[in-house]
Amino acid sequence: MGMFDAMEISASGLTAERMRMDVVAQNLANAQTTRGVDGQPYRRKEVVLAERGGEGTFGAALAGAMSSGTKTTSSSGTSGALGGVEVAAIAEDQTPLKQVYDPGHPDADANGYVQMPNVDSVAEMVDLISAQRAYEANVTAMQAAKQMFAKTLELLR
Amino acid sequence: VESKDGRSLLLEREIRPVLFDTTQLALERAIGGAAQRHAALAANLANVNTPGYQRVDVDFQSALRGALAGGPEAVEHTTFATQRDATAVTRADGNSVDADAESAKLAANALEQQAAVSVAHTRIAILRSAMGVS
Repeated sequence: MGMFDAMEISASGLTAERMRMDVVAQNLANAQTTRGVDGQPYRRKEVVLAERGGEGTFGAALAGAMSSGTKTTSSSGTSGALGGVEVAAIAEDQTPLKQVYDPGHPDADANGYVQMPNVDSVAEMVDLISAQRAYEANVTAMQAAKQMFAKTLELLR
Repeated sequence: VESKDGRSLLLEREIRPVLFDTTQLALERAIGGAAQRHAALAANLANVNTPGYQRVDVDFQSALRGALAGGPEAVEHTTFATQRDATAVTRADGNSVDADAESAKLAANALEQQAAVSVAHTRIAILRSAMGVS
């Protein structure tokens, strides 16, 4: 349990929410893309978030190394260290692509239909707002942590 | 100091200088507990969009209240457990974090911590004043 755990956790939340915003932006930018990197119509991407355990962080490794030599006396009562959140994967949405009748389009099939990306711009906007609010919540948590640490340092004055 | 009769031993124990009493130790543990709780609440906010995540919390007040009954030794060695909150309402995606409630708890916890720091700071100032150091 280090002093800056809370800030690291909030930072992981900021990273994850920023990634969600990036992916939303990518989806909106490619809402009409009929030729993706694989030559197929663009498919909507989605961020998969997963809880991160505290084991993999630098702070946890340092605490482990520090406590192996000396005996720990107090404040190690955490059951499963907290590590915040991480982006587990960026998955492709496998819902069917939209069929649009546009015979003049270069990518139209024999019947005149074009396969358009399965991006719903309204859903993307909702995701964007959700990511933005979650980002703000993490910023608030980080500011509160900063204030708390600053206040604790006042004990030395 | 050698003494054979129990009375002077008792006297000796009573006049043992105690710079940091139970209240001061409890304040220090409360500051630590609030920091730990803040980490837990921050983890909840970081995982507000993680499917299946169950919120965590630290009930350091109850642990401290229990330890206060056990005297200064118990208070000094109190540890707080970060626990999964199984009572919270779970959303359809298995997540039980309510961002508004977490933010409110976070603000209250920060104020609580700052109050504890203020009191601890004032007590140290009183001690310093009594010792004659500025």
